[in-house]
Order: sequence, then C-alpha cells, then structure tokens
Amino acid sequence: MDAISTQRLFGFRHAFDSPVTLGITIAVVAVLVIAFAAIWLLHAAGRTDAKLHDELVKRVRSWAIMTPLLIGPVLLGAAWTIAAVALLSVLCYREFARATGFFRERGLSAVVVASIAVLTFAIADHWYDLFVAVPPLAMVLIAITAILRDEPHGYIQRVGLGAIGFLLFGVCIGHLGYMANDADYRPIVLLLIVTVELNDIFAYIAGKTLGHRKLTPNTSPNKTIGGALGALVLTTALVASLGHFVFKGTPLDGPVALLGLGLIVSIAGQFGDLMLSSIKRDIGIKDMGVLIPGHGGLLDRFDSLILAAPAVFHYVQYLRGFGLDQPARIFSGGS
Amino acid sequence: MEPWNFQPARDLSLSPGDRVQSLRREVGLVGAASCLAWRWLTRIYLTAAHRLEIHGRENLPSRAPFVLVANHGSHLDALILAAAMPVRQVGRVFPIAAGDTFFTKKATSLFATAFMNALPIWRKKCGAHSLDDLRARLVGDACIYILFPEGTRTRTGEMTRFKSGLGRIVAGTSVPIVPCYLDGAWRALPPNRSMPQAGKITLRIGQPLAFESATNDREGWNAVADATENAVRELSPN
Repeated sequence: MDAISTQRLFGFRHAFDSPVTLGITIAVVAVLVIAFAAIWLLHAAGRTDAKLHDELVKRVRSWAIMTPLLIGPVLLGAAWTIAAVALLSVLCYREFARATGFFRERGLSAVVVASIAVLTFAIADHWYDLFVAVPPLAMVLIAITAILRDEPHGYIQRVGLGAIGFLLFGVCIGHLGYMANDADYRPIVLLLIVTVELNDIFAYIAGKTLGHRKLTPNTSPNKTIGGALGALVLTTALVASLGHFVFKGTPLDGPVALLGLGLIVSIAGQFGDLMLSSIKRDIGIKDMGVLIPGHGGLLDRFDSLILAAPAVFHYVQYLRGFGLDQPARIFSGGS
Repeated sequence: MEPWNFQPARDLSLSPGDRVQSLRREVGLVGAASCLAWRWLTRIYLTAAHRLEIHGRENLPSRAPFVLVANHGSHLDALILAAAMPVRQVGRVFPIAAGDTFFTKKATSLFATAFMNALPIWRKKCGAHSLDDLRARLVGDACIYILFPEGTRTRTGEMTRFKSGLGRIVAGTSVPIVPCYLDGAWRALPPNRSMPQAGKITLRIGQPLAFESATNDREGWNAVADATENAVRELSPN
C-alpha cells in the first residue's frame, strides 16, 4: 500500500489537523460533562424525582458510551471509520431483520450480510465502480436466492425485505464510510454525525417550546410542525456556519451551496426519523431492540443518519468530490 | 393488495441476559453458524471416539415440527440427537435442558444456548405455563424438540418411567413424537463420571407416533407418556 493511503487509513496523528475536528470534539465532550453536571445539580436541588433522575442518567450514560464509539474511530483513521460504519450497518440490518421476521430467511439474510461485506471492501479499497456495482448485483443475488426454495408464496415480500434491508442499512449507511476515502474526511463525517443528532434534539426542544400542530399524527404523534421548522432553521444555520470552515476554498463554500447542505441534513435527518417510525408502526412494535438503555435499539438512535448519509454524500460529491486526490483501488490494484 | 405479514422475533424486547433464559429465544445467522460448527465438531468426535451408528434415519419426518424422545443416561445424549438431525434443521432444533443443571451458571448457560440452542425447563418449579409455552411454540414455529421424559439421567443404566409432561406438550396436536433408543451412551459417560470414555454408541430412530386423538388432560398426557415409553423400550436391544 502507498504511503498516502497508509496515512489516511491509520494516521491517527492527523486526527486534529483540521480545527473543526478539534472544535467539534471539544464541544461534544463539553456538552456531555455539562449534561452530567446539570443532572447532578437538578438532583441535588431536589428538582427531579428519583424516577426521572434515573431515566436521565441512563440516557446520558448511554450517550457517554456511544460518543467515543462514534467519534473515536473517525479520529483514529479511515480504516477504523470504515470498520465502524460496516459494524453499524450489520447491527442495524440485524435489528431490522429481527423486527420484520426476515432473519428467519437465513439464506437471504446471508446474502445481505455478504453483500455488506463486499460493499465494505469496495469502500476500503476506494473502488467507486465496485461500490456502485454492488447494489444492483446484490439485487440480482437476492432475487435468485429467493427462488431456490421453490415457494412462490411470499416471494415479493422476501425479495422486498432483503432489498430494503440491504439498500437502507448497507448502501445508505455505507456512504458514511465512503466519505473516509477523502484526505480531509474527519471534519466532514463529524459535521454530518453531530448535526444530524443535534437536528433530532433541536426538533425535540423546538417542539416542546413552540410546537402546537401535529406534523404526522399517524406516523409519530409527538412530532409537531413547530419542532420540524425550528430544527430546520437551527440545523441549517449550524451546518452552514460550520460548513464554511470545513469546505473553505471549494465550490461548496458559498452561501447558497452551504444553505443547501444544511437543508439536506435537516430534511433528510427528520425524514429518516419518520421513516423508522413508519417501519415500527407498520410492524406494530415500539422499539427496534434493547441495545442502548434508555434509547431502545441502535436504529432508534441512528435512524436520522440513514437517509442523510447518501443525500449529503452525493451533494458534496457533485459540488466538490470525495478523495479525488487519493490513490484508488489501494488493495485490489488496477485503476 | 394484501398487507405484508410481519412476525418479529419472539425475543425482540428481551435483554441479552433474559434471552439466554427465555423459552422465546430465536437464533439468527450467528446462532445458526455456531450451532452448525458445534454440530460438525460433535459428529467428528462421536465418529472417532464412539463409532456412532445411526439406524432408522428414514423414520425422521421430512418437515418440522416433531419431538425427538429418547432414554437418558448421559450428558452425551442431547449432543448425539442434535448431531443426528439434518443440517437444514440447524437453529430449529431445541434440546430441552434442565434449568437447574445448565442454566444456573453463566458459562454453562452460554454454552447450552450458543452451541446447543437449548431451552431451559425448571424441574423443581416446572409450572404448567412453561409447558404450555413450549407447546404453543412447537406448533407455531415448526420446532424440533429433543426431550428426555425420564426427567433425569438413569443411575443404574435401566430406563425409568416417562413423566407426563411430554404429553402436556404434544397431546391433541398434529405434532409427531419420534421415539429413539440410545445404546452405549450411559456406558461411555454415566452420571458418576466427568469425562467420557471411548466405546460404541448406537442410536435407533423409531417410527413416528401420532397423538392427535389424545385428549389434552391428565389422562391423555399419561397415555402419551406410556405409549412413547413402550415405543422406546421396543427399540432397545435387550
């Protein structure tokens, strides 16, 4: 492997090359510390009863465990980032498969997981042509595998669930990993993850303070139009101002392009959230799993990233490009 | 258009610790892979150390659900019966294991679930509802249960009476019971030994018994247990 790729994949000394990376990391750690302090102060002052206190502690503790797992790999290097994204893909797919019952189709499930593995290789290899080829080829394999049992009843559902599972949790989330093929991926990936998660929190806070009219009462009864608009404004402003530093000197660094990026993050983020609510309502379950205490399953927490990752990727890819100056096909060779 | 039919994993809302103990546990790719690997290992061991012979394989129903029942003399018994099941049934085979022996310590319960896919039954407080749960699941999920109705390993080598709990699981359903007889397992690893010794083991699989007409009450349960016990005895060589 060439020296440039080695540095990108494993060069943790470059973690804070960008001031934005350092800023976001410090801000996130600070927010966690403040959250713990606030919970403790509220408890000490007798403002929270035992039940609410336990619930708050559980939630923030989960965040305190999740944050290093999210930010750590990004800081360490592209190899860790890609591996972490692959793990996230597989675990999210597992939750989806168990919730829908698709996991009982073991052959098809194996095809989906194997496709995620090949996709991850394409990402790590920095081989865009393969990255683009895997989704249709996976579709071919799923359509074929589902025939083998010679049981046409339920064929469309089997193929459909396999395709949805792979596209949403393999391909869509995989775009987050592909971003790591850029030399300067750290601030971009962190910007995306942090603002998408903040987008959720903004919607929650704005909804509590100025939300009246329900947004989608059948899909997610607690969401309000006020919350959605509040998040749209706040997230767009935050993304645009942070993006100015991240994308300095590129075609993205203009007011219109940056506002566009902010809108994409906020809109795709909120619809990702609503998408998972729709999935859960359709199945008739409350949470996708029990992996994260206080939050539910992994998908209950990272639903907003699923649609935002490919939307942001292709927006940035169109205007700026990812990893254009980086060697391609670093493991497979060729060009 | 007809709506799609979703059937979430039965153990979806259980924490990993509760899953291990639960009768609702369902395995996915990882669980099936570990059971498959373990099946290969036990087959190699059983062939090498015990020259395992299996007669009457053709008597196994081609489709689940069914219940495998055998005489019980050794910790090898469940391993042998599980390894004798066809590969495509891996993950659907559930040995019903004594909770108080296998599910009280973390290590043993992890082993029993990860590699054997065992479900616990608590002998002292074996409530009616856990048998009813097993019954509902057997029919609904097309499972294969491996069950030793004597309730414990024989201490003398002689088969003892079958308990009626077996009847409670199958009486009145269309699920067949497949009687089996294990010869040599008790000599290889009797309850008073901790390590097995080499020696020939033979597994005879008998013809399936149907208990659709048995009533789901005490009388019916006893009838199922007695009939199955006789069928197993008939498979014994002596």
